Amino acid sequence: MKNSERFNIRAHGDREIVMTRVFDAPRQMVFDAYTKPELVKRWLLGPDGWSMPVCEIDLRVGGKYRYVWRNDTNGREMGMGGVYREVIPPERIVGTEKFDEEWYPGEAVGTIALTEQEGKTTLTQTILYNSRETRDAVLKSPMQTGVAASYDRLEKLLSGREALSA
Amino acid sequence: MSDLAEPFAMSQPAISKHLKVLERAGLVSRGRDAQRRPRRLEAKPLRDATRWLEDYRRFWELQFKRLDVLLHEMQTTGLKKHAARIKKKKAAR
Repeated sequence: MKNSERFNIRAHGDREIVMTRVFDAPRQMVFDAYTKPELVKRWLLGPDGWSMPVCEIDLRVGGKYRYVWRNDTNGREMGMGGVYREVIPPERIVGTEKFDEEWYPGEAVGTIALTEQEGKTTLTQTILYNSRETRDAVLKSPMQTGVAASYDRLEKLLSGREALSA
Repeated sequence: MSDLAEPFAMSQPAISKHLKVLERAGLVSRGRDAQRRPRRLEAKPLRDATRWLEDYRRFWELQFKRLDVLLHEMQTTGLKKHAARIKKKKAAR
């Protein structure tokens, strides 16, 4: 997969990862999809086979949010949460991020910025780790290899199905 | 180092500075023999980082594709509601 105008991801400096993505929808709608629990639960589900039983959002500076995902096959849960530092509807949210299972030490700060042009919205999503050591730990985290493994299984399954139907 | 500097329009001190940065990042290591300090490219950390970014992108692209579907649905139901409102108004007239 390569970077495109629609979706771009890159490491910035020692501690930051920056993603941009374009959506065919007005900014207010993208903002709502990111901040209203009943909408967040529809798309931020994690890898295939996971659901999001908990999504709580207190959208104000100093307010907390909490997300929990569950693996539908083995019931394993993964949670994360944080505190909002900036809330400017419908253009900007800054908040801390911490996972329950500390597969990386320390905290990260996430920023979501939205701009609208001709009915399309560009999202810039940034994650800033508190140190280079934290970012390095994230780079080595087993979660990501786990995610990759489950995708590989899915791909095998799908290609098998294609071969059968062909 | 002179071998490494040769293809670049850069002074030896500048090359040396770049090498030091790469060494600190763990991307270049330095050997030692009698007269030379041969450098070796350490490709693994860069490969790990690239792989991680690819996984991360895959993960988010899946989330964003679901978000595309939701946004489309929000827009079409929004349009339907809007159309229904106009119809109602017309009927009331």
